[in-house]
Amino acid sequence: MFFCSKTRVEDFEAAALPHLADLYRSASLLVQKSPEAEDLVQEVYLEAWKSFHRFEPGTNCRAWLFKILFHRLHHLRRRLIQASKLEAFASPADQDNVMAEPPVPQEIRDDDILLALAKVPPDFREVVLMADVQEFSYKEIAETLKIPLGTVMSRLSRGRGLLRRELAGVAESYGIRPGSERKREGHSG
Amino acid sequence: MKVLNFDSKQCERIRRQLDAYLCNELLVETTGEVLKHLESCEVCSHELGSRQRVREALQKAAARQLPPAYLREAIHQRLRSAQPGFFEGFRSTTWALALASLAVVLVAGQQWLRWQQGKQLVTTVLTLGVFDHLHCAIRSHNYPEVANPPDQLRKKLGPQYAGLLPVVREKLPSFQVLEAHICQVPGGQRKYVHFIARGQGTILSVILTKREGESLPVGRFLVAGSPSGVDLYKAKVEGMNVAGFETNQYLGFVVSDLGLHEMVQLAASLAPVLRNALDGSAGTENAAPALVLASASVDSNRRVE
Repeated sequence: MFFCSKTRVEDFEAAALPHLADLYRSASLLVQKSPEAEDLVQEVYLEAWKSFHRFEPGTNCRAWLFKILFHRLHHLRRRLIQASKLEAFASPADQDNVMAEPPVPQEIRDDDILLALAKVPPDFREVVLMADVQEFSYKEIAETLKIPLGTVMSRLSRGRGLLRRELAGVAESYGIRPGSERKREGHSG
Repeated sequence: MKVLNFDSKQCERIRRQLDAYLCNELLVETTGEVLKHLESCEVCSHELGSRQRVREALQKAAARQLPPAYLREAIHQRLRSAQPGFFEGFRSTTWALALASLAVVLVAGQQWLRWQQGKQLVTTVLTLGVFDHLHCAIRSHNYPEVANPPDQLRKKLGPQYAGLLPVVREKLPSFQVLEAHICQVPGGQRKYVHFIARGQGTILSVILTKREGESLPVGRFLVAGSPSGVDLYKAKVEGMNVAGFETNQYLGFVVSDLGLHEMVQLAASLAPVLRNALDGSAGTENAAPALVLASASVDSNRRVE
């Protein structure tokens, strides 16, 4: 029967709303502003509802919602930012270097790491969030962001490194100098 | 940018694996290799601890980013206001199927309607013959118990139709033609050439009348048979079974209370020769013998739907 395929909004909510916190968490850390994150998440749910008939029950609803989230986010970003600054951070030569690991404080405050994260360029930040916060696999991240697996790995490595550097910078701005960690640098195993 | 020069290339290689190690994306063999190195390298082990600490701190800080309580309700409301209309939830394939089904239903419905209309038209035309049979032969009993002599019948038919008498007699071998005349039904101007015959325990009429604009419909589902190219139609009207046909100028009927199949068979025998006789030089007395022997030719382009 044709009419049995009509989806009820209750079915959609049951499948999609459990992932609200995850979506909001990533949205708020990516757009930085709470009202914009709320709007973004609402738009994601509306778009997901409109195309819910294409969603196959039993597949990964969370990954599907994140795919929509990043699709909208990239669309917004393209509109707002005409010129990407990504190239400055993504040169192959830069990635080949093993940089000196900045000292990371023993105690990391929530505000500090969020502040540091906000300074990481968006393309790296979203891969770090997907891998470290949402704990998606490399393959899932590649599919969600529509980038090659190798790019996921390089952006994650680079993004984590930038986060540690920014974190060290934030800590130093407070006058925290974890000297004990510096002493260990340069030792070989 | 400060670049470390490790004493061991092994440390550099292992550090490149630490991100994948943290995500549990390494192969089992590589994981074993990393673990083995970490056991013996304090610097790399410290580096891993540092990265793990950052990762855990990020997870902990992110966990604090909770959606405001009203967001769930706001989404709930927007979803309901954006509830798609009745048809919007259908997939494109469902639409295609629905439209195809609708088209089939429409075509079938149109065909059924045409069939019904055609059937109604057949009944209406064939009723002309049934009414004359009922009025003249059955109710008015306009036939003798003993057959009138052929000369008398030819005289009653007049020169125009007298030639049809031997045709009817020949094609109704199991019937005796009792009467033949020109008659009318009360209240009507239409004239009927009426042959009344008895046989098989009943009275049967062979009736011919000039077309006055009537036309039997075209449609293979409406035709009961087409002997020698003459389409035959059948109907049951007022308890009588009737088989009918048309020529260029005439409508012909075979009516009785015998079965429809028998009516059709008799009409199939009569129709081709009657058509030739009526549409040729008419059933004049002199022309009749030749007409009886003439083969039935296909007659087309005269019937309209």
